[in-house]
Amino acid sequence: MSNDDKLIEGHEYDGIQELDNPLPKWWLMTFYATIVFAIGYFAYYQIFDGPTSQEELNADLAEIQSNQPEVSTSTDSSEIDVQALLANSDAMKIGEEAFGQFCIACHGQKGEGTIGPNLTDKYWMHSKGDLTGILVAIRDGFPQKGMPPWGQVIPPEKHAPLAAYVISLKGTNPPNAKAPQGNPIE
Amino acid sequence: MPNLYYDDQVVRQFIKATLLWGLIAFLAGLLAALQLANPLFNFELPWLTFGRLRPLHTNAAIFAFAGNAIFAGIYHSTQRLCKSRMFSDKLSQIHFWGWQAIIVSAAITLPLGFTQSKEYAELEWPIDIAIAAIWVVFAINFFMTLKIRKEKHMYVAIWFYIATIITVAVLHIANSIEVPVAFFKSYPIYAGIQDAMVQWWYGHNAVAFFLTTPFLGLMYYYVPKAVNRPVYSYKLSIIHFWALIFIYIWAGPHHLLNTALPDWAQTLGVVFSVMLWAPSWGGMINGLLTLRGAWHLLRTDPVIKFFVAAITFYGMATFEGPLLSIKSVNALGHYTDWIIAHVHAGALGWNGFLTFGMIYYLVPKLYNTELHSKSLATKHFWIAITGILLYYISMLAAGITQGMMWMDIDSSGRLTYPDFVETVTRIVPLYWVRSLGGLLFILGALLMFYNLYKTMVGSKECPNIKIPEPLETRTTEKETGHRKLENAALAFSILAFIAIAVGTVIEFLPILRVGAYVNSEKAVAPYSPLELAGRDIYIREGCYTCHSQMIRKLPSDVMRFGEPSTINESMYDRPYQWGSKRTGPDLARVGGKYPHLWHFKHMYNPQDVISMSIMPSYPWLFKNRTDFQSLRRKLSVMKMLGVPYSDDQVGNADTFAEKEAKQIAKELQEQGADSDRLEDREIVALIAYLQALGQKGIDQTPNANENEEDEK
Ligand code: HEC
Ligand code: HEC
Repeated sequence: MSNDDKLIEGHEYDGIQELDNPLPKWWLMTFYATIVFAIGYFAYYQIFDGPTSQEELNADLAEIQSNQPEVSTSTDSSEIDVQALLANSDAMKIGEEAFGQFCIACHGQKGEGTIGPNLTDKYWMHSKGDLTGILVAIRDGFPQKGMPPWGQVIPPEKHAPLAAYVISLKGTNPPNAKAPQGNPIE
Repeated sequence: MPNLYYDDQVVRQFIKATLLWGLIAFLAGLLAALQLANPLFNFELPWLTFGRLRPLHTNAAIFAFAGNAIFAGIYHSTQRLCKSRMFSDKLSQIHFWGWQAIIVSAAITLPLGFTQSKEYAELEWPIDIAIAAIWVVFAINFFMTLKIRKEKHMYVAIWFYIATIITVAVLHIANSIEVPVAFFKSYPIYAGIQDAMVQWWYGHNAVAFFLTTPFLGLMYYYVPKAVNRPVYSYKLSIIHFWALIFIYIWAGPHHLLNTALPDWAQTLGVVFSVMLWAPSWGGMINGLLTLRGAWHLLRTDPVIKFFVAAITFYGMATFEGPLLSIKSVNALGHYTDWIIAHVHAGALGWNGFLTFGMIYYLVPKLYNTELHSKSLATKHFWIAITGILLYYISMLAAGITQGMMWMDIDSSGRLTYPDFVETVTRIVPLYWVRSLGGLLFILGALLMFYNLYKTMVGSKECPNIKIPEPLETRTTEKETGHRKLENAALAFSILAFIAIAVGTVIEFLPILRVGAYVNSEKAVAPYSPLELAGRDIYIREGCYTCHSQMIRKLPSDVMRFGEPSTINESMYDRPYQWGSKRTGPDLARVGGKYPHLWHFKHMYNPQDVISMSIMPSYPWLFKNRTDFQSLRRKLSVMKMLGVPYSDDQVGNADTFAEKEAKQIAKELQEQGADSDRLEDREIVALIAYLQALGQKGIDQTPNANENEEDEK
């Protein structure tokens, strides 16, 4: 107890006494400051024209969209050299990784097909199994048929290596392959 | 004449119950922690799976461990502060045994999957009624003791007890209004946003009035007693008490920031949470400054160690709380393990340590002996505090890491970590650290059990303590201001009730007029009977403990999961399933994202589909048969509550559901599911529900919820 502590007379409960100390100044100031903040914050958002949460979201999304490069997920494959990708072990590694991360859930560990179709045989439903067809499948998926679109999920620079990796699976004859679906493409 | 003596028998009973249930609550917590580190710890047992274990852990920690501790402290200190034995020994015993029976029934029903899925209010309606009844018994016993008290004035500890008892009753009853559909199944009268709002008004104030105010009351009694010093400031007691209970009740919406909750309610949640900071710290200051001049005890007395650490954790948690209520901080921390860190600083640090300190102080007194070993108690302190720090720091790091990964948008305007599982695998090592922290906390507690056991058996007899004469007798001498109130228990209680009623009413009335927020022109279709059956399975399995169904109005949420969730979309959700934690991805719009077969394989064993998943597997859903029988009753209750089902749908609910199940089973087989007779299995109902999520809105155009903003 410091010297200016004063016990309050008559305040004793089962041996517990109470001191007559004032409210600590800094504590009181903190309390007042939060009250001032509260009034200001409430007034700004609810009384004056502070943005609504929907307006804030729209503004944020617009800014993010303005940063997105124009043609980030092009499926124009005329510029892409499939053979070069197939021969490039780094690219194939990127492709294999992306496949393991995003595709095996439905196409199986080795592309043999489980929920989705077998990607290693010569039967195709949506394209000829060529680079463009696979790039489109990756970007847009077949949401009505159970394959989600991956354009927004897989970084665009990985699309071509992934597509090339899928092409490389052709004819690998993995075990437990799913029965053919679609038309044979020679 | 027994009235000449204190009733300490019931205090000893409550202390033993605290220790027993504490151990169970801690062990359940450790197992749940391990399950997140490695899903093998779910053991593929329905009743032990994470979704059912987590509610068991939280209920045991709050209502069994903390609850019994509060009762022990209140029964012990109230008698001494009133200089009177409790009003009725019989009521004390009914309270004790009734409460233990409630805990046992919770420990049986939660693992069986009987749950309302509302956090800390999971228990089903028969138990809800029992809780209300026992609480009333407690209240009568307590308030009658105040009435017959010999001491003239009520000490600050009593004020906090009064606020606790009144408010918990109001909270529990208002949040538990539900319509039974079976012996252990009910639907709340509130739907969607109403349910969310009522639930978090309850949930937040359960923390306030079950884990804060009663413990502050205990602090005000046991800390000055243990150090034998006067309380630092009587004025501060008054101001911070009234400010605390008045402001606390408003802050519930901070659990729903950035969601579909109307902006005005979110704003109230933010500002009242910020204003809570100082009133909370008032308690900390009064506690810590009471120790002035007694700091040397900190070195020698384990009781003081526990008290000082508890109050410090209280100060830390009540600073972090307002911080997390700032919308932008909340955008980062909500749904992550930061919140888990926050509650455990409170639960382990503040509630746990205050309880341990109190018990180490009480047991020798109540058994008329010395503590078996002071040094063991000191060891307990150091081991437990290491455990808490490991827990807190690992979960803080996990929460901030995962929150930042979710929000991170790269320079080309895309999510840097679009794959959700990647953000999970990153923090799994921290789940192991957290488990270690929990283990240390338990090891410390085991030392305490041993130490107290030795203390108890070492005692020759429990003392019967005679009630001393009160210091002041109750005269009618004139008094003014607060001092007068301290002599008027009834007036004090009414004022405390008014203090908590103001915020409640102002936030509630508009929400209860839910029509103002649900736009009926853009209404949604109700769940089909099979989907409803699936939804009840989702609730039973506690999927909400890991999955939110609420896409917030934040760019990263929208880019990851789709358009923000609207109020309309959950207008028929009883109970609402917005969730509070995203251990797995948001499911509000998962419908149609995957083929049935994907869910089929995923629910059977998630790792077959997503190899790094930590979601438990649910093989029993492939064996259990869907309960078609109860659907008519369920739909009729829903219809009574205002869901637009036709009479035909209600009357033939089971037939409709069976037909829909056949269709889904057929589709599953076409997709290659390799089992037959699927149509009556629970998995099919669950898939029906999952595929319906986000698909019920008639208007799915962007910004469909803009109108409701204008209406505010
Ligand atoms: C959720 C399951 C799922 C995932 C994950 C998935 N797919 Fe598919 N995929 C399907 C389904 C189902 C089909 C067949 C759609 C149909 O029946 O029309 C399909 C079809 C395809 C096709 C067209 C096959 C054809 O015969 O024309 C390609 C190419 C393809 N997927 C590639 C991929 C790649 C690459 C990935 C990884 C980025 C991937 N899929 C991930 C389910 C999935
Ligand atoms: C222990 C936490 C946990 C519980 C409990 C849990 N999940 Fe999950 N869930 C996850 C995690 C983690 C993921 C992400 C990895 C994955 O897809 O397996 C996930 C993913 C999912 C997905 C895929 C979402 C998407 O968009 O890819 C669905 C659907 C799902 N869970 C449904 C359920 C259902 C239904 C239940 C209750 C029966 C449940 N979960 C219980 C953790 C959990």
